[in-house]
Amino acid sequence: MTDPKDSLQKIKDQALADYAKHVSPMKVRTLTQAGVNLIEDRREGTSVWDITGKKYIDCMTGAGIMNVGRRNPEIINALKQALDNLDIGVFLFMSKQKADLAKKIAEIAPGNLNCTVFGVGGGEAVDTALKLARGYSMKKEIIYADKAYHGHTGFALSAIGRDSFREPFEPLMPGFKKVPYNDAKAIEETITNDTAAVILETIQGEGGINVPSDEFLPKVRKVCDERDVLLILDEIQTGMGRTGKMFACEHWGVTPDIMTIAKSLGGGIYPISATVYRKELQDFFIPHPFVHLSTFGGSDLGCVVALATIDYIEKHHLLENATRMGDRFRNGFSRILAGFPDLLLEVRQKGLMMGLQYSNGSIGPRMTKKLAERGVLAVYTGNDPSVCRLMPSLVITPEEVDFVLNALDDSMKVLSEEDGIGRND
Amino acid sequence: MATSKDIMEALADYKQQCNNNQRLRRMQRDWSKLLHFVAKDTGDSFTMEVKNGEIISNREGTHGVPDVIVTATSEDMCDMFWGDLNPAQKYLDGEILVKASPEDVQRIDAITMIIWPES
Repeated sequence: MTDPKDSLQKIKDQALADYAKHVSPMKVRTLTQAGVNLIEDRREGTSVWDITGKKYIDCMTGAGIMNVGRRNPEIINALKQALDNLDIGVFLFMSKQKADLAKKIAEIAPGNLNCTVFGVGGGEAVDTALKLARGYSMKKEIIYADKAYHGHTGFALSAIGRDSFREPFEPLMPGFKKVPYNDAKAIEETITNDTAAVILETIQGEGGINVPSDEFLPKVRKVCDERDVLLILDEIQTGMGRTGKMFACEHWGVTPDIMTIAKSLGGGIYPISATVYRKELQDFFIPHPFVHLSTFGGSDLGCVVALATIDYIEKHHLLENATRMGDRFRNGFSRILAGFPDLLLEVRQKGLMMGLQYSNGSIGPRMTKKLAERGVLAVYTGNDPSVCRLMPSLVITPEEVDFVLNALDDSMKVLSEEDGIGRND
Repeated sequence: MATSKDIMEALADYKQQCNNNQRLRRMQRDWSKLLHFVAKDTGDSFTMEVKNGEIISNREGTHGVPDVIVTATSEDMCDMFWGDLNPAQKYLDGEILVKASPEDVQRIDAITMIIWPES
């Protein structure tokens, strides 16, 4: 008789071979070498199972798509019910679902961010934000940060702070100027009379979980106000409760003029994004109501899912859990920091947005492999492989936090016996 | 333990494999780098210059300011250039050390995949 595990392994091998042949051979190769070539099968709460049955606690969550957990039953139920009556809807028309979601977003967004343009993904939301900034201000220049990540679409790519993502596609949009992150003075000095907007991630994600100083965002807000420049905050990874507030900018009491939301807005079930802006900026869209359209943006089904997701976050107090579990992680990190000072240099964290700064760039991929062997999915950040990103679902329990911490501790013990772990290696 | 001569021979073979592979040349045509290889057991070192995807030269010793530094045992280095080991796997196990940008690490692995698809 065939061992069921063997047949599952065969299914997996075939899927990997087909993916390599028809989608991306290098992706299969790289992820296989890194020990994270799982074919996602069962997904539930904080966890995902490979098709062969191996369980992982998902601390990657697609960089923050799964704040309400994977396959959240309440979100699935909302979508199932919606499918009895709705479809995507026609983008040109108004709908109750779009209106309801836009109204709800206005309620949960900070300050006077009352209006929304819907999209499908984060890059599209950023493109919309930058178009709105240029259209409204009638100015051209955009200031963005080194190591920034805002997506791979046209305008968003022009504001990305990683050369290797940009160079193959140059020339990109003109008028984009890069400054160091967390440097308000550099922004102030770069602004000209033709600057439309400053775009920043509230906390840099791909750049290495870079949490700004307490002065940075308030100072940028002040400079933007004084110089009549719009402030765009990208809350695509940080929003929807990730940091213990609904939006990370609330930690610093800063309200942007435009804010982008995506990823967990769709509850891990349905793609949807939102570009939220203050009412005055609507003056651009009044004479141009059809200047920016999105066929699938804010589909009626997506709006139902997003409303259910927000409702779930509020009803189940996920902001409080993000703070509590973040604190539990923090305590564990301090023990690990003390135990492996040559390997782990720093922890950067706000709630459950967490980055571990390793001593050099080779450690990120090596830790990814070791953590996967111990049942934890955690991938280094895209723009800095010396930083491990931990972004588990906000439904994580104390026992699961401890499981992740034990896996980290154990992996570091093994790694500390290997070569090439010093700062200069 | 491999001698400096062994490694230079392996490098010469690697150069031929890479430069004769038109698909690889086309794929790497925007890649111009200086690579240093250091054998940690013998102390021998080597410099490879790549220009627009073509390996221009392999020389003994370290020359110029490198974009990439690879450190491995002389035996692993030979095996790597002969295609007898998977360098990325050794890198992830901490046996081969690479100081380079993540993009360059990816490029080196892409070369291996193209010239030795089964590795």
